[in-house]
Amino acid sequence: MKAQLKKVVEAEEGEIYDIELDTDLLKANEELAGKNRELLQKYDVLAIDVMGATGAGKTTLIEKLVNALKVKYKIAALKGDLTTTIDAELISRHGVEVVPINTGKECHLDANLVKKALQKLNLKNINLLFIENVGNLICPAEFPLGSEKRIVVVSVTEGPYMIIKHPFIFMDADVVVINKIDLAKPMEIDVKKLEKDVEKINPNAKVATTNCRRGEGIGEVITALGL
Amino acid sequence: MHEFSMTKQIVENVLREARKHNAKKVTEVHLIIGELTFLGLEQVRFSYEVLVKETMMDGSKLYIEEKEGAVRCTKCGYEGPLNYEDDPAYHIRTPTLLCPKCQGVVQIIDGRECTIRSVKLVV
Repeated sequence: MKAQLKKVVEAEEGEIYDIELDTDLLKANEELAGKNRELLQKYDVLAIDVMGATGAGKTTLIEKLVNALKVKYKIAALKGDLTTTIDAELISRHGVEVVPINTGKECHLDANLVKKALQKLNLKNINLLFIENVGNLICPAEFPLGSEKRIVVVSVTEGPYMIIKHPFIFMDADVVVINKIDLAKPMEIDVKKLEKDVEKINPNAKVATTNCRRGEGIGEVITALGL
Repeated sequence: MHEFSMTKQIVENVLREARKHNAKKVTEVHLIIGELTFLGLEQVRFSYEVLVKETMMDGSKLYIEEKEGAVRCTKCGYEGPLNYEDDPAYHIRTPTLLCPKCQGVVQIIDGRECTIRSVKLVV
């Protein structure tokens, strides 16, 4: 439905005012994300946003990346979840600082929550930050956080169509990780087809195939991230 | 998916503006919502009705203009609607970041907004 933007003041009951606001609520998040990015750049911290559905393997991927990279980089992580610190503990046992962010009922992290979490870290002591978003393939795409790179993790157990069904989140991805490829055969999933789906939607995204649990393909992800 | 929280922010912003002008009532709210956001207009309208109850926005009319998505090609400079790939097998049209003119890579320039354009107040 097209709105009829009435700029002329009409007489109705009492005195009527037309007020032009032009307040963009999503822009407000974008601006805050920009500030987060400036702060991270000031301290030379590379922030990587990790998005994907619940159970796709985001935490396992971060665990493996932390393990492989903790000699080379000083790493910390922010871990978004509706509730619990289960995943945050899984990551922190690898000897890195983790700030859990519980969103309560919200389906995504936003720049304001990340800003608050960043205040809890001593940014001078780190140079690589993983930000794990709430498990969701939809909403996180709408709220940039200020990270430099974005990974989207999908697993073959989510079915053959999850990429073409959620094109927007893949449009924002720098790296797409296709996880649980060891299960591709029993799930009857054509991994090549998934790779083609990514390429079609976002030709700029790099694709890595992994079995995160066993640590297979982690090197590919690291190369794709340029780390 | 997050229509309720977004609409809550919209209502809070409008009420703040209305109080600033000592308004008695808000009669109209005009929004612009981009096609590429994840905001379902039906859910926004529903949330709005729930949220304005017992406020000075109760009974106000909500107008939503849906803004079409637009892209700019980094190679040939094309500006316009996104390229959609038809896949008759699945009955879906997949949006892609490929330029419809030169197959270069495009950037999204429009369609991601959720803007309170204007409000009408009775003072």
